[in-house]
Amino acid sequence: MRRAAAWAVLLAALVSGCAAPQVAGLLEQLPPDLAASAEVAATPFYPQEDYQCGPASLAALLNHAGRDATPESLVPQVYLPARQGSLQPELLAATRRHALVAYVLEPRLEALLREIASGTPVLVLQNLALDWAPQWHYAVAIGYDLGARRIILRSGVTERLAMSLDTFERTWTRGGGWAMVALPPGRLPVTASERGFLSAVASLERLHPVAAEQAYEAALARWPGSALAALGLGNARYARHDLSGAAASYRRATQLAPASADAWNNLAQALSDLGRRDEALGAARQAVALGGPRLAAYRDTLAHIERAR
Amino acid sequence: MTTKLRRMVAGLLIVCMGALSAPLPALAGIVGTETVIAGAERARLAALLERDELRVQLQALGVEPADARARVAALSDEEAARLVAEIDAAPAGGSDFLTVALIVFLVLLLTDIMGYTKIFPFTRSAK
Repeated sequence: MRRAAAWAVLLAALVSGCAAPQVAGLLEQLPPDLAASAEVAATPFYPQEDYQCGPASLAALLNHAGRDATPESLVPQVYLPARQGSLQPELLAATRRHALVAYVLEPRLEALLREIASGTPVLVLQNLALDWAPQWHYAVAIGYDLGARRIILRSGVTERLAMSLDTFERTWTRGGGWAMVALPPGRLPVTASERGFLSAVASLERLHPVAAEQAYEAALARWPGSALAALGLGNARYARHDLSGAAASYRRATQLAPASADAWNNLAQALSDLGRRDEALGAARQAVALGGPRLAAYRDTLAHIERAR
Repeated sequence: MTTKLRRMVAGLLIVCMGALSAPLPALAGIVGTETVIAGAERARLAALLERDELRVQLQALGVEPADARARVAALSDEEAARLVAEIDAAPAGGSDFLTVALIVFLVLLLTDIMGYTKIFPFTRSAK
């Protein structure tokens, strides 16, 4: 009996170890503005079938963000039959196809908990087994309780799985600490970084310029000094043929970052399309004078405007 | 009559094919946001070839041709380039549910015994 207990302890040490580093650090120095517990109980649940934890987890996330989707409707968008699973970039892409911003969190447990506390369910990749014999699994983290040292997951066929936070941290960091959220374009993740968020919106822009425009506006509200957000807003407006709106955004970008040749170039193009040739010429010359890796493109823009009389 | 019908069908086909092709914004004179963020100019032709290669790879892994096209179109340039390089090695999340259930049961049982959790009524903590 005692030997059995010893074996169990050894196995448990292998699987879960003792306290996981991030959990220990968090509990030692609790950030005062982090809620002690939270749960996004409204997150839907789809029990997964076969190997389809990807579609099932993603459907829950998209529904919570207000989009129609079922695991069945997502299989053709994310599932890879020969790999019997789904790849991370494809979950991001499928989220964007539903006109949502797909944002990958920084790989820190605290960021994950903060998103949950703000009411956003988080899709996570876990490696349930070992580095050399991985068992990849997607689940949705919907709640936590720091006092009880637990995390709540929608996982596999279990609607409300309470897992030790330490065990979760180990399986999650073994999966690379990958976590994503899906948000309607007007909402920003509470832990978003300017560059990370704008990069996520830029990927949305090619599919849904109108949704991207909303997201860039939200980004400008959060980071009023972001020239990149102003430039992106201009590009989204240009893509849906709002030329004067685009010109105004590009103008703002050049004011925020006078050395951004890209902003001057795009401003020149929008002004030229609006028939404001003299202003366009000035902006195009500014882009060429600033130069940079895309100088050839700026020269093209300038030549084009000079030719159009 | 037949000419009219033929024209209509041709028109429809063009619309459908237009909808199928990758919606890469090739706006003359505009530097795209993705390009600005990436910093360096990616060769446009190389990016297109990568996407085409990825589409073929997805089909080889069992994805329907029309689905593969739409999936590739939804990726960013960076994601497409990364997937082309690592599609066989990238972690494909998708444990079958019996394995997941078994592993989760074992983990919970062990953490129960360790005293981290108290989920099963029949375990006695080692602590």
